[in-house]
Amino acid sequence: MSTPFEDLQARAAKRWSELTEGESAWIRVGGGTSGQAAGADAVFEAFKSSVESTGVNANVSMVSAMGLMYLEPQVDILMPNGARVYYGNVNADEAKEIVEQHLKEGKPLTDRAYAYSGGDGSGVGNLPELDSMPMVALQKRIATRNFGDTDPHDLLQYVANGGYTALNRALTEMTPEEIVDEVKAAGLRGRGGAAFPAGVKWSFLAPSKAPVKYVLCNCEEGDPGAFNDKGIIENDPHTLVEGLIINGYATRSTHGYVFIRTGHELPIESARKAIAAAYEAGLLGKNILGTDFSFDMEVSLTGDSYVAGEETALMEAIEGKRSTPRFKPPFPAAAGLWQKPTNINNVKTLSYVPEIVRNGSDWFKSIGTETTSGTAIVCLSGHITYPGMYEVPMGMTIREVLEKVGGGVSVGERIKVLQAGGPLNGLLGEDAFDTMIDFDAMSAAGASIGSGGIIVGNETVNVVDLLRSLVAFNQFESCGKCFPCRLGNTHMLEILDRMCQNKAKSADLALLERVGTSMKAGSLCGHGQLGFNPIASALKYFGDEIKSCLAGEIAPGGVFGDGTMILPTRTRP
Amino acid sequence: MADGTTFKIDGRDVVAKPGQTILQAAMDQDIYIPYLCYYPKMKPQGSCRACMVEVEANGRKMMVASCTTPPMPEAEVTTNSEEVEGLRRNVVELLMSEHPHGCLTCHRIELCGPQDICQRHVTVTDRCTICPKNERCELKDTVRAVELDLRTPLNYHRRDLPIHSDDPFYDRDYNLCIVCSRCVRVCDEVRFDTALTLTSRSGVALVGTSHGTSLLESGCEFCGACVDVCPTGSLTERNYKWEKAVSEVATVCTNCPVGCQMIAEVNKFGKVVRFKADLAGAANNGQACMTGKFGYEYTNDSSRLKRPYVREGGILRKATWDEALEKIKSGLGGRSSEELAVITSPRGSNEDQYVAAKFAKSVLKTANIDSALNADNALLSRLEARLGAGAATNPIWDLENSKSLLVVAGNPTEEQNVLAVPAKKAVREGAKLVVIDSRETELTRYATEWLRPKPGSEALLIAGISRVILDEALEDKEFVGSRLDQAEELKQSLWTFDLAKVSRDTGIEDAQIRRAARIFAESDAGAILLGDDGLTDKAAELVVDASIDLAAITGNLGKASGGIFPLYRGANTLGARDMGATPGENGRDIAEMMSGMTSGDVKAALVMADGVSGYSPTLSSLPAALENLDFLVVSAALDSEITHHANVVLPAATYAEQNSSLTNVERRVQLLRITAEPKHEEKTGWETVAAIANAMGGTGFDYATASDVFTEIAQEVSNYSGLNYERLQSGGIQWPVDSSILFSDEASKVTVVALNYDELANSAESGSLTFAPGRVLSQPERDVVVRKPADMNYVDREQFVQVHPDDAKSAGLNEGDVIQVKTDDGHILARGKAVFDSPQVGLVGATTLFGELATKMHELDVADWTPQMPGLGYSTVTLESAPVEQEAGAAAD
Repeated sequence: MSTPFEDLQARAAKRWSELTEGESAWIRVGGGTSGQAAGADAVFEAFKSSVESTGVNANVSMVSAMGLMYLEPQVDILMPNGARVYYGNVNADEAKEIVEQHLKEGKPLTDRAYAYSGGDGSGVGNLPELDSMPMVALQKRIATRNFGDTDPHDLLQYVANGGYTALNRALTEMTPEEIVDEVKAAGLRGRGGAAFPAGVKWSFLAPSKAPVKYVLCNCEEGDPGAFNDKGIIENDPHTLVEGLIINGYATRSTHGYVFIRTGHELPIESARKAIAAAYEAGLLGKNILGTDFSFDMEVSLTGDSYVAGEETALMEAIEGKRSTPRFKPPFPAAAGLWQKPTNINNVKTLSYVPEIVRNGSDWFKSIGTETTSGTAIVCLSGHITYPGMYEVPMGMTIREVLEKVGGGVSVGERIKVLQAGGPLNGLLGEDAFDTMIDFDAMSAAGASIGSGGIIVGNETVNVVDLLRSLVAFNQFESCGKCFPCRLGNTHMLEILDRMCQNKAKSADLALLERVGTSMKAGSLCGHGQLGFNPIASALKYFGDEIKSCLAGEIAPGGVFGDGTMILPTRTRP
Repeated sequence: MADGTTFKIDGRDVVAKPGQTILQAAMDQDIYIPYLCYYPKMKPQGSCRACMVEVEANGRKMMVASCTTPPMPEAEVTTNSEEVEGLRRNVVELLMSEHPHGCLTCHRIELCGPQDICQRHVTVTDRCTICPKNERCELKDTVRAVELDLRTPLNYHRRDLPIHSDDPFYDRDYNLCIVCSRCVRVCDEVRFDTALTLTSRSGVALVGTSHGTSLLESGCEFCGACVDVCPTGSLTERNYKWEKAVSEVATVCTNCPVGCQMIAEVNKFGKVVRFKADLAGAANNGQACMTGKFGYEYTNDSSRLKRPYVREGGILRKATWDEALEKIKSGLGGRSSEELAVITSPRGSNEDQYVAAKFAKSVLKTANIDSALNADNALLSRLEARLGAGAATNPIWDLENSKSLLVVAGNPTEEQNVLAVPAKKAVREGAKLVVIDSRETELTRYATEWLRPKPGSEALLIAGISRVILDEALEDKEFVGSRLDQAEELKQSLWTFDLAKVSRDTGIEDAQIRRAARIFAESDAGAILLGDDGLTDKAAELVVDASIDLAAITGNLGKASGGIFPLYRGANTLGARDMGATPGENGRDIAEMMSGMTSGDVKAALVMADGVSGYSPTLSSLPAALENLDFLVVSAALDSEITHHANVVLPAATYAEQNSSLTNVERRVQLLRITAEPKHEEKTGWETVAAIANAMGGTGFDYATASDVFTEIAQEVSNYSGLNYERLQSGGIQWPVDSSILFSDEASKVTVVALNYDELANSAESGSLTFAPGRVLSQPERDVVVRKPADMNYVDREQFVQVHPDDAKSAGLNEGDVIQVKTDDGHILARGKAVFDSPQVGLVGATTLFGELATKMHELDVADWTPQMPGLGYSTVTLESAPVEQEAGAAAD
């Protein structure tokens, strides 16, 4: 007799073969927020109607985004012969022509397409193979393995590509302790910013015998320039759902919450659909896959608050309170959500888990560096030629990411400054570009992988102006609970404002540092403790530029900043 | 952990008690660590970061907030290193950048007196005179303690917000707020009102009401807890706002039987300028209520009676004490005992009551003596007869650990406010509450089961609950078996309480009676709060019987967090009863005295009038009754409707002007202390009575001090045996000495009584319409309009009158009609839109907001306004269409 999971796999295999091995071609339009923002919806509709009107035999699907955002909207066509051709920056008006030429005539538009993959080995025209493109070749896709390939709302497509085998294996072949050990051995460190070893964190929760325990997934993701958590949830939600269920099993927890910030509409919809589908497939709820393990999951939302991403503030938010951080101890593993033992992990961290369980800790450990195994999911934006979301192995240098994956500076002459890891982390200058992407190396350089966002600035970016933007963000987002953060950010912003207006005094730098160090030592949570990071790192790489603002040497007009930075409206009563 | 954690603070060995944080352990050792957001008896918050210390443990050093961090064993805590002090200074420096600080920086600070008007040395908005808490400010103390250099380069920003002084009793100036959130937290986690909240975030995070509404609609109960905890001048009492105290005296509030211990602040002119709840108070645990916090001021009133007055030629003229006593001697003397009456003050001390009782007995030889607010006599007497004490069986704060609560015919959140605080806490922490009351009160909002029986059928309902408990075998069998006398008789009698009959006669569905029974019986510890509002004396006695039976069969007597708490009125009503200031054999009680005066049977009286008002709900006929007397002596602090017909008026000392003792509801004997010396010829109650007694030839009235009187009390009153002033100094003692819970002796027996169905059922009213007014702190489901015609806010919302469809039909009214509720003598008690949701035929309800009452009390033009707090009294009424010229939705009279 087959197991429930084997039944599920059989159904999945059937679906996948219908899509990929039948007589029909498969047109996949890249969706996600990045695709839809670029017009993927219209493109999708255009392809559907073109297929209908031309009468060709093809399925049209909105699938996950591939991550190559500079190419959105993206369309790829898999022909029954197995060759897959990729078109970038597709306009809805082109749909008909592509369908007619490529599908009806069998002549891919090689001058419109940018790459191909698969097929009989003879290639497609003079198109490069997708995997040969540096921004693809340099990636090692684990959490993003299904990006561009599957429909995120179709559980079966996820299963057909190896999904939920890890969960099945965990539930049927492994004890919770073995999973915790496996995650420990894999060297998986938390991707939320603090880089705490995930297995160790799990082992804090696992021994508790409390009847109700929670595992939470944090997708507050409010950092400007970071979109990988949202990306994973909207493009492949089941990898997170599977990871969170395994997390729940490994820690013997009873409930999981996927916590998403209100306003992240697509991820919210995607997570809710995935959870509902998992319930329907018997992957959530009572006796998962016929085993003794039962686990419930739901999506929880918070209002518009950055600090809600702090783990204890997040718990307050789920409880329906004002999302301000709690003091620690007690730590969440002792008294977290609703005062019950709780673990909280970032989306990315959990998304690696299925592959770790499926392929083993040795495999994961072999990727990345000695101290940071696995990959970094980097979000490139700003003055960069190929903005997008790229999963690269840890250990690659920043320069490689910028030059090879990102294609270097898009406008202007050179990359001057990077804002890496969100507004609570550092600014990096050229001196740091040979730093390895690795938690410890980045931290030594004065920045952090943090959320994975890298905002690239060219030589026209004024560092003080950029700092003012970052501090303005931090000030606006301070929850206002602890005094150093509430007041310190306000004063730092004020001083930076003065600097931007050529009104700073020479003593202002020392004042900035004094306020910053007080915040670091005195604040209740990371928001205040890290609030001085951008300035501290900027002083390291751009010290002279900053000091010139104090001497009144900047901007002959007296004021710089072209007014494009919109200060949050509520900085003062 | 059970024995605490040993660690070091600045090299000193310290042992922290289990659960203590570093800050608490340090405070116990008198080691000073500055703090602003922490407050004793509240959960730590960890937001001000002024209490940062360095902790070295397990080879790691870190800076932590000492208010939230428990000490690790063997940790070394440093509170005074340069780094720690520097950090604290920087944090406080940040704080001062948004707080006016001319009071700290002005170079004239040593030259100016605290009240001097400054015109030139600091900016207008920054000077010390704009802060009502100048020189009594916790923030300022902290700034000085951290030795902040105030020449800060940080820009100072004043918020420039308008001051909220449009709500009753206290002002809110958020320009001075440091957002420590003490007020928000005390309102939430201590008072459970959540009238205040944090608003917005980041640099503009502040304290306020949700959506900036008036306090009248935010659920504020004007208890002043937020004012007491505010470390700055942000929240201040409006009266005497700018007054500085020169001394503080621990004393007791004399407005209700809770007996809250208060700290009275006295200024250099000997005026009591502030009342703060005493954190050390055993009865109140640092809490107070609107009347206690703001009702103390009458003692300062300029219209206080300063000397005796005697009536001559129809007018009261100034007199000496000797003249007055002479007049009294002839006025009271030579009368038969039946013609005489003595009414003692509900605020009167044990000494006052004792001497008055002795005077009545030995000099006037009358049995007509009672305390003015002893209207709950039936309730208390029955309790006394059944349990040996007309008082609570358990301490008030026992209630915070109760697992279920039954509140019957009482409104403790208004009438015995602080007693309701631990009850509300228990509910917040999961206790289930059953309320039996026809009126909507604050507690009904928290009730798991709110039973609204036909008025008068409360006892029957309680008996029905007991019947369910027996039916479902939920009784405490061990307690019933070993501790009850006459248990069989009770059980036998309860078999006649058929639940279908009970349901019919009370108007409560049997399913709800069952649910209530299970809630009460299935919890570990259930307490009963027993009132007598709207009950006849007979009904009150039956409610007592039924309640004691219920408490007994559930094993809730003699148990912590169980017990019975009578909800009566008058601060020292219990003391008066203990001292014998209650009707003797064939004597008249207060109600009978009033009827006796009206009928002319009582001809002369001595009234101790402090806290006695003709506007008190139970004393409304007193002024007219006094008018009939041949001779009336009134000892009063203030001129009032009670003194108007007096032949002799004697100046009475107030609570502030005497050393004496009071006994609260939990039998705790507490000391009133002199906070301000009497300024003129005022005498305390016992001095007054002793002077009269001596003038009339009585013997045994030569007391020198109140303590002497108390020594005699301890000899004469057995429950007070062993007590003396010295022992009472440290916060009061419960009688009998050190029995905090009655019946806790395992060998003691509780006698239960059989209940008679017909007797219980007959006390239910029938036929007439009863108006049961309700009042709550907030009704979030209803729109509230607050208008501000001038400087003050007023609630002006549409009123609804709950009527039963049958009653409406009888009165010819339809749902939605604007109707009015009228008493027999023509008073309009409520006017509003008729809604058909009264649960009982014959019951009419209307719920108002406490904010409306607070405004009314605040605006009342009498110095001693607290006795005039209207209760939620029942009335027999008729319904009629409101006259058309009345605007729909006009506020009730």
